[in-house]
Amino acid sequence: MKNFLAGVLCAILLAAVALAIYLGAGFMDVASEGQPPAWESSLMTAATHASVRRRAGTAANPLPGTDATLIAGGKRFLGDCGGCHGAPGKPSDFGATFYPPAPQFAQIGTAYTETQLFWVAKHGIRFSGMTPEGPYYKDPALWSIAAFVARIRNLPPTVAEALKPPAPK
Amino acid sequence: MKSFVLGFVAAIVLPLAVVVGALRLGAFEVRADVHAPAWQKSLFDFAVRAAVRRLAPRVQSPVPHTDAELIAGGHLYLNACAGCHGNPGGRPQNLTEYLPSPEFAQVGTAYSEPELFWIIEHGIRRTGMSAYATSFKEREVWSLAEFVKRMHDLPPPVLDALRPKKH
Repeated sequence: MKNFLAGVLCAILLAAVALAIYLGAGFMDVASEGQPPAWESSLMTAATHASVRRRAGTAANPLPGTDATLIAGGKRFLGDCGGCHGAPGKPSDFGATFYPPAPQFAQIGTAYTETQLFWVAKHGIRFSGMTPEGPYYKDPALWSIAAFVARIRNLPPTVAEALKPPAPK
Repeated sequence: MKSFVLGFVAAIVLPLAVVVGALRLGAFEVRADVHAPAWQKSLFDFAVRAAVRRLAPRVQSPVPHTDAELIAGGHLYLNACAGCHGNPGGRPQNLTEYLPSPEFAQVGTAYSEPELFWIIEHGIRRTGMSAYATSFKEREVWSLAEFVKRMHDLPPPVLDALRPKKH
């Protein structure tokens, strides 16, 4: 038993010293270019999803599920979110310079529900480039963006048409 | 000896298992509309500073320290950086962020110009500071670094030149 405790103590001390050297001597990776390794991405993505699921609740989107809602949300998304999150058919190079990189919803879709998307847009995600948008938008505007992102891979043709950039003259 | 090794392994594996389990259960808060607790912010800053000191190029800035250069850097800054880091000579914006973007006009910076150069080129992982090496030429990054270094203490003619024009 005494040996067991000595082993525990020894491991804690060693870990503390190793951590102090890792952080203090500048060995922590800080550059935000490049992709996180697969183990890190899958662990942190799972952790973020689990945390959002636990907190976002299940409130229904209060806006009508109409094309008009999707178009309004789409306009906001393309204007204000597309810089990092890309547009249909046009992933953002800028979004790729963050660590973790900004998800390109038009390419990969999203596993979040509208309610969870609303929560993420409103509150942001710490330790990422996703800043809280709550201070800049009223709730209905955020719900319209959430509705759009949830459907971004599967937009009704009329909505996709309405959001097309005007043809060059 | 066998129980020593057992204790050693248990002290490493158990805490790791608890952290991974807590992560998977969603026990950690992710919302970013609160400020990080002070201990977390200081620990993060401490580790980032140490890493940037280790990695920054050991060279002098190749751009001249002139008002004209500061103005050139200032224009780049106003376009690309001011949205998060605030305006020269302006009031603080106090954005709601977990790890707030430093507002250099108010707080200055302890980083040297080569260190700022490195940060602008490569970004800071797990923050809103992305990597700009592909967006700017190297010379422009040096000129940005010089501007940021001097931002809390700009010569009045530079401030004047960067003030928004009245219509």
